[in-house]
Amino acid sequence: MARSLLGADRRSSGVDPDAASPPAPRTHRPKWRAWAGVFVAGFLMSDPAWTQAPGVREDLQQALRLSQAPARVISLLPALTESVCALGQCHRLVGVDRYSNWPASVQSLPRMGGGLDVNLEAVVAQRPDLVLMAVSSPGQQRLRALGVPVLALEPRTHEDVRRELLTLARVLGLPDQQAQSVWREMDAALSAAAQSLPAYLRAQRFYVEVGSGPYGASESSFIGQTLGRLGQANILPAAMGPFPQIQGEFVVRSQPDVIVISADSREALVQRPGWSQLRAVQQGRICALSPTQADVLMRPGPRLAEAAQLLADCLRRLGSPR
Amino acid sequence: MRSAGRSGRTAARLGLWMLLVAALGLTMGAAAGSTGWQAPWRVWQDPTVWPIVVEIRLPRSVGAWLAGALLGLAGAVAQGVFRNPLADPFLLGSASGASLGVCLYLSLFGASLALAWPWTVQLGMTGAAFVGALAAVLITLTLSRGVQHTLRLLLAGVIVGVTLGAVTSWLSLLRPEVLRTMQGFMLGSAAWLDWAACLQMALALLAGLILSWPLARLLDALSLGENTARSLGLPVEAGRLFLVLVLALATAAAVAKVGLVAFVGLAAPHAVRAVASLPHRHRVPLSACVGGNLLLLADVLARSLMAPQDLPVGLLTAALGGGYLLLRLSRQQGGEAAA
Amino acid sequence: MNPSLQTRDLCVSLGGRQVLRHLDLRIAQGRWTCIVGPNGAGKSTLLRALAGLLPYQGQVLWQEQGVRPAELTGPQRARQLAWLGQAEPVSEDLCVFDLVMLGRLPHQGWLAVPSVQDLQAVESALRAVHAWDWRDRLLGQLSGGERQRVLLARAMSVQAPLMLMDEPLSHLDPPHQADWLAQVQALKARGVTVVSVLHEISLALQADEIVLLMDGRLVHHGPSAQAQTHRAIEAAFDQRLAIHALGPHWVALLVNPPASL
Repeated sequence: MARSLLGADRRSSGVDPDAASPPAPRTHRPKWRAWAGVFVAGFLMSDPAWTQAPGVREDLQQALRLSQAPARVISLLPALTESVCALGQCHRLVGVDRYSNWPASVQSLPRMGGGLDVNLEAVVAQRPDLVLMAVSSPGQQRLRALGVPVLALEPRTHEDVRRELLTLARVLGLPDQQAQSVWREMDAALSAAAQSLPAYLRAQRFYVEVGSGPYGASESSFIGQTLGRLGQANILPAAMGPFPQIQGEFVVRSQPDVIVISADSREALVQRPGWSQLRAVQQGRICALSPTQADVLMRPGPRLAEAAQLLADCLRRLGSPR
Repeated sequence: MRSAGRSGRTAARLGLWMLLVAALGLTMGAAAGSTGWQAPWRVWQDPTVWPIVVEIRLPRSVGAWLAGALLGLAGAVAQGVFRNPLADPFLLGSASGASLGVCLYLSLFGASLALAWPWTVQLGMTGAAFVGALAAVLITLTLSRGVQHTLRLLLAGVIVGVTLGAVTSWLSLLRPEVLRTMQGFMLGSAAWLDWAACLQMALALLAGLILSWPLARLLDALSLGENTARSLGLPVEAGRLFLVLVLALATAAAVAKVGLVAFVGLAAPHAVRAVASLPHRHRVPLSACVGGNLLLLADVLARSLMAPQDLPVGLLTAALGGGYLLLRLSRQQGGEAAA
Repeated sequence: MNPSLQTRDLCVSLGGRQVLRHLDLRIAQGRWTCIVGPNGAGKSTLLRALAGLLPYQGQVLWQEQGVRPAELTGPQRARQLAWLGQAEPVSEDLCVFDLVMLGRLPHQGWLAVPSVQDLQAVESALRAVHAWDWRDRLLGQLSGGERQRVLLARAMSVQAPLMLMDEPLSHLDPPHQADWLAQVQALKARGVTVVSVLHEISLALQADEIVLLMDGRLVHHGPSAQAQTHRAIEAAFDQRLAIHALGPHWVALLVNPPASL
């Protein structure tokens, strides 16, 4: 159990190095405690992650030692799939996870499971030179032990996306300029989308719902940052974390100007207790996202500018609040 | 003569205390919300908050109390029928049945690939949970071929619980998009309770109390063993079957609205027993009151501890209920060590 | 003799094993009959069959008129018969008074409140076992003997004309055993038929009649003072018992085997 919990956050290990050497058994302390301490320490030490250098960063960048640029790449995160294709290396992909669906060419690639249930056999059968997966996905240790190079990336902000494009370019053996030019294009498109909005459509208070619970996207998430670039405000401040779970009451009190939600949830919005009081609901100021649109918005990848365009279009459609 | 009246008076006194705590809890519930803990008089003075109080906080608080009462009732009945202080309402597989019902419903009707899933589904989800819980208990009864042997019934319940749980896990692996919802359901939440849900649960609670009252003496007699109960002329088999069905209905009604909330059904009858030993005709309604207060308190804490975040209420009932049981255990051990 | 309880060709099999075989028994009304026999003879099974708590083949009849217990409704039968089982589970949280009040269930409706007769019956039963003073105590706080007395009181509070008791003297110390014997005499005086299973032969010999079972068959049924009964009992226990007279009573003494083993 200790291993699976190690997935993301090895820094805060909490293992006391003194646990390896149990205290000298005194006569009044039961001996079994000492043996239990030895056993637990030995169990933990047997995990190679502990014997490696502690303090590994969340985005492992230099841990890979590739002799040449990887020709066969498997991507297990849709955002990373899209990034690889944005760098023009779609042809190197030999397998993707079941959720990757853009661009259309990846839909014909073999599926290797999902983020949470990676099909190790399928991955290994493809003989990949590199596997890209989320930091929080289980199975990284196993794949490494099987001799498969794994690069764990999980972009959470715009800055992360820029950095990961650069990392990917380097790992794939591409010149830095390629990644930088992709990023410059995205940045320019983002600014263009922002500038296309007239002044009266600025500074509206958004509520973006990303899941039932409800979970919202705050200012510190990449979605929130996109909204920030568009000059919009967010009812969820950055202090709450990127995707906080909030009470329905909080949204009602905050009275957002615009609600962004998936189209499936839109119909039942009125039935939530108290939500009929929301001005946004009464005036129909709701951006209902189709599944494809939701994909664009929810992925921190090269389509950030497209997401911004989506939101800007919706804003123009809704007009300013009455 | 003194004792019969005395237990009635003790029960009445306890009941009054419980209702006072409930009133206090509801007041706190009206004041606790996304702004954390507010003083109730502050809420009274601020008219802009009243719509929120009336439409969100009060139905949620009342609903939490009702769901807790249903679970407390079911727990007391379960502990009486099985003569086991470790029995809880989910013993006969109703928890796994409800989870499977929800999972099936989401897999079939929640076909969207986006992270958010349909809200219209949620209305049907409560129905699916209810049907699932009942169906699981019926399967258990069929597997054990009636209620003749409690051991067989318990074993069948374990089998059904484990099997349905495995099917649920398998289904949610096939359709991982339902995982987030399933997790929410399994931890329990009173977040979306409205007045309609409160009405449904109130009816279920009333039905449960009325149906279990005449059988309270059967539960008392069962504590003397089956042979004695039968020799006293009580319909042991039919009565037990009826009580199991009441238990199933109460559990299903609660679980359908708030999900799988742990420990309430287990801890509430224990709390009643710790205060006074009462015959079942008093113990069952009092367990309902205690269960209601427990879940109400847990929900108020869930709302206000990390506002505006909503903690899953099942975590808090586990902390509260589990903590209470731990306290009793340590006191008991202390008593034994001292003796 | 006006038999209160009668069996014809009674057979009981439990778990595939034939426990009672073709028993024909006539238990007299208003007398105390004691069922004795070696371990595994089927004594408890017979008692349970008489109480209608087990499925059986053959017939069990009450009174000479031939009313079958199975034909009566539950409460009707419960008013005719009081049962005290052996080592049955008891909940620790009931108080003594409430437990004895449970014995009045056959006389109460589903939603009825205890009546004056109920309260009087409970009080007299509790006084008879000298438990009236601690009627508010919880069962969990009682010793084994005190609990047994309370269970006895529960059976007595039913005030049924037939009482079936399985090992009623377990955990009781001699003074309370003597009390119980006195109670049985008082019940007999009121015309109650008492049938008990006892493994203490000396105490069993104080009954009016002895039913001797071996391997599920009725070996002997006769008055306890008869020499024939005594010889039958000694034979049933492989002559490890010797029954002697001691004043007006009979006692059974253990006989050690010869030292040649």
